[in-house]
Amino acid sequence: MNAWGRQFGFELLRLFARKRTYIGFGVFLAMEVGVLLLLRVPAVQRSMRRVIEQAGYAFEDYYSGLSLAFLIIVWTLFLLGALYLALVGGDMVSKEVEEGTLRMILCRPISRARIISLKAAATVVYTVVLCVFICLSALGVGMLERGIGGMFVYAPAEQLFAMHSFAVGLERFAIAIPLIAYGLLPVSFLAFFFSCFRMKPAAATVLTLSVMFVDSVFKNIPFFEDVRHFFLTHYMGAWMLVFAPQIPWESILERVLFLAGLMGTLLVGSWLVLERRDFKS
Amino acid sequence: MVRLENLSKRFRGRQALEPLTLEIPRGEIVGLLGHNGAGKSTTFGMILGQVHPSTGEVFVEGASVQRERARALARVGAIFETPSFYTYLSGWTNLRIFAAYSAKVDRAELEAAVRLVGMEKRIHDPVSVYSHGMRQRLALAQALVPAPSFLLLDEPTEGLDPEGIHEMRNLILRLREERGMTVLLASHLLAEVEHLCDRVAVLKMGRLLFSGRWQDTLSPRVYRIVCADMARANEVIARCGLSLVGEGTYAVPSELDPAALLEALVGARAGVTEFAPERPSLEAFYLSVSAAEGAGR
Repeated sequence: MNAWGRQFGFELLRLFARKRTYIGFGVFLAMEVGVLLLLRVPAVQRSMRRVIEQAGYAFEDYYSGLSLAFLIIVWTLFLLGALYLALVGGDMVSKEVEEGTLRMILCRPISRARIISLKAAATVVYTVVLCVFICLSALGVGMLERGIGGMFVYAPAEQLFAMHSFAVGLERFAIAIPLIAYGLLPVSFLAFFFSCFRMKPAAATVLTLSVMFVDSVFKNIPFFEDVRHFFLTHYMGAWMLVFAPQIPWESILERVLFLAGLMGTLLVGSWLVLERRDFKS
Repeated sequence: MVRLENLSKRFRGRQALEPLTLEIPRGEIVGLLGHNGAGKSTTFGMILGQVHPSTGEVFVEGASVQRERARALARVGAIFETPSFYTYLSGWTNLRIFAAYSAKVDRAELEAAVRLVGMEKRIHDPVSVYSHGMRQRLALAQALVPAPSFLLLDEPTEGLDPEGIHEMRNLILRLREERGMTVLLASHLLAEVEHLCDRVAVLKMGRLLFSGRWQDTLSPRVYRIVCADMARANEVIARCGLSLVGEGTYAVPSELDPAALLEALVGARAGVTEFAPERPSLEAFYLSVSAAEGAGR
């Protein structure tokens, strides 16, 4: 294994050996069960039934595990996902500065660019692992509750309404997972960027969440309908388009490229900030 | 071995270190002295490339820390006043992690470092249960892998008990003897610096006040002379032009060879019982240098 690989291995070891890394996993599981319990409430089910039956479909056929998984993800991911990704991303550099371990690392013949690359890669791994966990656990919980059946997709914010057979729904769900992880990476990278400045880890997390919150609120204000493409959360929602009756690949690609540009900029910005900093007791 | 060339640092308009040029020869232990805020940590930070100098450069084995960091720091080890570790991991894992940022270090080398600092029994315990002394030992172990040729020690005995201080001091001397290691040591414990260091550099408010062998600066040369027959001894002392400095201590004129003085005392049958150069403490030297600068300002 080369030096980068060895160092990356230790970066992951440090990340996944910390208890707080797993808080997000536990909370998500609890949240998914909570959403499921909420969906059992008769009034909520009546509302779902009305939407499905008004579209001309049988509620029993389309209120399935896949449909529940989709709803759970829509309702929990961007609320809690952003929180835990900001928490871990915001810790990546600033926590090590705060605890003094970054200074110990900087005694070594390692460049700051290398440190950024290692920590950014670890951030990507955490984001992907958390998102895959959320998606698979949502699917598992949904399947346990309602079993196999057609998929009903309803997301008014994205003007999305679709019905899929189980096979197509499952296929779309599988395609959506990497896009969900990719869509949430900017949150991690934004927190990572802030964590490179001289600030407490909590401040980096709060700043990230503030940006995401303001972005999300503004995007959903009707007056800003025509300028939705100015908002980050618009691009982060690319995964939902996978569930459209016809997948709009061009639109997805456009959003993916925008996010790639943003993440690249944040990464370079992180490196520039870290490179200029002085580390002293 | 290590050369600081015109090194200075300004933090937000405040001059933390005025241009500093210093040479640390191979195999020497050099003490860096100064009050809090004198610029010691800033100097350490710049030697390690953690602080960007406003002017100047640091060269280790001819390689610039600022321009060729990987080459310059390849064989440099450092410990700080309060060493930091990943407390949720074991001492052993911490060692492996920090070593991985330098080079591929084999298990035998890590074990040798652990043995050297006497941590064999506790190295697999989580760092969170270590005492301060154990963390200092672990810090030294991590600084020793991979084997450095230059060691920076910032208050290495801070918080250690007397036995720990003694052990650390012996260990530093052993490293110099056995491995020819060059050491830059910052410490507030002047007795420790006096015991360990060949030379000292004194900083005050970012300015270098003195650099070199502090013992060499003592003028006039002062000797402690005690004889059984002080009347005879005083005749010789007067004839040779010595002047009384304190009780039993005399300033020897620079043109007089102390060996000739001793010979004269023995020849006069004064019954010499003690004849030795009087070494003032480093503390006295440091305070005098520091006070002289204060008065000069």
